Amino acid sequence: MIDHIQYFISIWPELFKGLAVSLELSVGALLLGLVIGLPMALMRTYGKGIVKAFAVGYIELIRGTPMIVQLFLIYYGLPDLGILLDRVPAAIIALGINSSAYQAEYFRGAILSIDEGQGLAAQALGMTKRQAILNIILPQALRLVIPPWSNEVIYMVKYTSVAFLIAVPELMARGKMIISQTFKPLETLFWVGVIYIIVLSIIAKVVDIIEKKLAIPGFQMSGED
Amino acid sequence: MAKPILRVENIHKKFKGTEVLKGLSLTVYEGEVVVIIGPSGTGKSTLLRCINRLTEPDSGDVYLEEQKIEPGKSNFSYIRQQIGMVFQDFNLFNHLTALQNVAIGPIKVKKMDKKKAYDLAMKELARVGLAEKAANYPAELSGGQKQRVAIARALAMDPKIMLFDEPTSALDPELIGEVLEVMKDLANAGMTMVVVSHEMGFAREAADRIVFLENGVVAEMGSPEKIFNNPEKERTREFISKITRLNSVAKGREVL
Repeated sequence: MIDHIQYFISIWPELFKGLAVSLELSVGALLLGLVIGLPMALMRTYGKGIVKAFAVGYIELIRGTPMIVQLFLIYYGLPDLGILLDRVPAAIIALGINSSAYQAEYFRGAILSIDEGQGLAAQALGMTKRQAILNIILPQALRLVIPPWSNEVIYMVKYTSVAFLIAVPELMARGKMIISQTFKPLETLFWVGVIYIIVLSIIAKVVDIIEKKLAIPGFQMSGED
Repeated sequence: MAKPILRVENIHKKFKGTEVLKGLSLTVYEGEVVVIIGPSGTGKSTLLRCINRLTEPDSGDVYLEEQKIEPGKSNFSYIRQQIGMVFQDFNLFNHLTALQNVAIGPIKVKKMDKKKAYDLAMKELARVGLAEKAANYPAELSGGQKQRVAIARALAMDPKIMLFDEPTSALDPELIGEVLEVMKDLANAGMTMVVVSHEMGFAREAADRIVFLENGVVAEMGSPEKIFNNPEKERTREFISKITRLNSVAKGREVL
């Protein structure tokens, strides 16, 4: 037992650096996914013609192809077009684009779940459609989207491990490097797993607190009114 | 005669091939309370929605004080602000308190100063007897209270006319009275109102004119006196007696 703890202490500095990179990738990708995903959701929900078609095409294309293909395309493929990206930015862009399609669908689901009467009442007050979306629909939809969105956070932290395939030194990649030095795959991966679980539990708790803070009486995903 | 506030001219509206409104025309005068009755599916709600363009009519025009209501025109939002609307299912904004529900129109649409808007909202809530519920969210209010907040929300925009789309039909019988009281107060205060409702007691007491809509056109209209006691058409008489009976049976209340 003591041996195991000692082994963990010896590899922890290295794993910690990896964890920091994993979290950097997660935050970057989630933000990029949000910045692209929310407009895509609005375009798909309220857009017409080519605007809507573009959003649908984008979302379905991204959701319909493996993330690893997207990652390799951006890191190995783009240089052919003269676009050279460092490993970390390439990973953030690939993960972020992938996430944006899923986030768009979460946002769209939340927007569609808002009763049509909310928008009608806003327009009857004289709000434009844009004002109604910004002031009435989105504040409600964004609250409803927190539970599915927190799933996306948790997926993302785990998905960052694919970045090790383009040699980004994140948690999984550090684990792999340690294994090649210590020849202890079982113990090393055990501790890598433990770190993921602890971090994800903390994130889940934080999201839970945020959700409670923003909660409004009688206004939840399940029982409206 | 008072001056016309609202003029509906020859409105046609089809839904999926079925013509709901068939060239309907109606003029509402300042301070008048018009109650619209008629069988279900006859286009009462559609008429109200065509007035403030929540539904786009296929043809026909609507004028508010000689200003044509046209989506896309620069004054469209301004005209819409002056038409208050109260919905059957309240449609209070679920993420806002009663006070915020009433204040958001003046703040976002009229760009009113927030402090002023909240003062105004408080005044309007007091007017419908709900000042003490200002901090409550819609889910914490009864149906009758929700509808009163919805009325306050419309009043806060200082409308020239108020449209009521079956304001009491989603309410439990014991909650209907409080909403009708508020509406009667409004009528007494001189508000111009178009009310789609089958509350015959309210119609008899508060209406200046009753419009009987059938098959997408005005079948008959006149004073409550005439429509209730001496209608020209047999269909009107049948409908009135049916509704009056239903009102008293279903709700177990005395019909005025």
